[in-house]
Amino acid sequence: MDNQEVVFTLNEELVRVYADPAESLLTVLRDKLGLFGTKVGCGRGECGACTVLLDDQPVNSCLIPFGKVEGRRIETIENLSRGEEYHPIQKAFVEKGAVQCGFCSPGMIMSAHALLKTNPQPSLQEIKTAISGNLCRCTGYKQIEEAIASAAEKKSRR
Amino acid sequence: MSYLKALNLRQAVALLRGNPGRIRVVAGATDLSLQEMPQVALDITALPETTGLETADGFFSLGAALTHSEIANSHPVRHKATALTEACASIGSPQIRNVGTLGGNVINAAPAADAAVALVALGAGAVMINLEGKTREEAVEDLYAGFNQTIIDSGSEIMLKLVIRPCAANEGSSFERFASRKALALPMVNGAARVEVVDGFFRSVRLVLAPINPAPTRLLNLEEKLQGAPVTEETYKKIETEAAAEVEVRASLLRCTAQYRSHLIGVLAARVVRKAAERALERK
Repeated sequence: MDNQEVVFTLNEELVRVYADPAESLLTVLRDKLGLFGTKVGCGRGECGACTVLLDDQPVNSCLIPFGKVEGRRIETIENLSRGEEYHPIQKAFVEKGAVQCGFCSPGMIMSAHALLKTNPQPSLQEIKTAISGNLCRCTGYKQIEEAIASAAEKKSRR
Repeated sequence: MSYLKALNLRQAVALLRGNPGRIRVVAGATDLSLQEMPQVALDITALPETTGLETADGFFSLGAALTHSEIANSHPVRHKATALTEACASIGSPQIRNVGTLGGNVINAAPAADAAVALVALGAGAVMINLEGKTREEAVEDLYAGFNQTIIDSGSEIMLKLVIRPCAANEGSSFERFASRKALALPMVNGAARVEVVDGFFRSVRLVLAPINPAPTRLLNLEEKLQGAPVTEETYKKIETEAAAEVEVRASLLRCTAQYRSHLIGVLAARVVRKAAERALERK
């Protein structure tokens, strides 16, 4: 396959990557750039495990041809913690027991992160809609919803 | 493979002309990513002509590359083409809606594409531009050529926009779907209606259901019978029985049994017409 140069912003840094533009963004993130936080789930847009933000909006990175990323802004789960310091949403997931096997967590957290960027005080219904594209097969969604609500509340109190 | 992003329409048409037989127009590419990518992909999501949302000459002009999220969040569309808002808000998941486009939902031609069902009920038209730079307009309902196929050639044509006459004060529209979950679920049945109500009677009804045929299907006999019918419970009952009788449906392993779908078609047809009529009455 022919590689193509794609210039884009990845986790607040301008990057230049040579890759096959037909590959998915997910494949490039993991196999070329070593960012393994974004998970490979169904590979067909039905589970949300590969959720990243494209210009601040959650998308399935498995369905984005890499060529599409030219000139855009991508944010992955790796951008959330600051070294050992977890992001408030990550802390809330730990505190509320919203993580069991952990496979859906990066995607869930990125969907929550996108929500709280635009809507810092979401209703329960808005939280449910925001994570409606993310499947969790173990905790049930209750703890995840509570974690997102708790992160929002803590953020608004600060 | 190469992935090209056109920055303006002139460039897009020139690229199409320069790559005959190997180029294909892409927008959200969410469905295409699951198939084989073309040798040359021409991304048209950055063109001003495919991303505008405006009212011109009394018509909504919706860029074909607007995402489902962008349509669902538009206040003018919600107010005067409510069925389309409801349809776009129920497609796939937030992640899909942030990338998938209105034009793609039509051209991909899945037999129960939510936005396409609403567009046909609203009587929308689609505007395409060809290699010579000439534009043509077709009714969305006339674009279908078969299962997962439209008459649009993605190698030599670009869909620029969808045009819809906004609902007047005595009109209303509605979209609903039955699915096994509220997100990430194929509809077992979906449907949409646009109605005009005058003095307690239906002056006109457009009623569309899917999946019945490869294209969103208008229930033409029932539409005609409803002209001049009173806006009453009896009429809704009649819609429920006659809608199911007018169409033949198949069972689908992905969706549900034929018997259940037939039942749902009646329920859904009555429901979307009722909701559209309520909206027409509220608006006055």
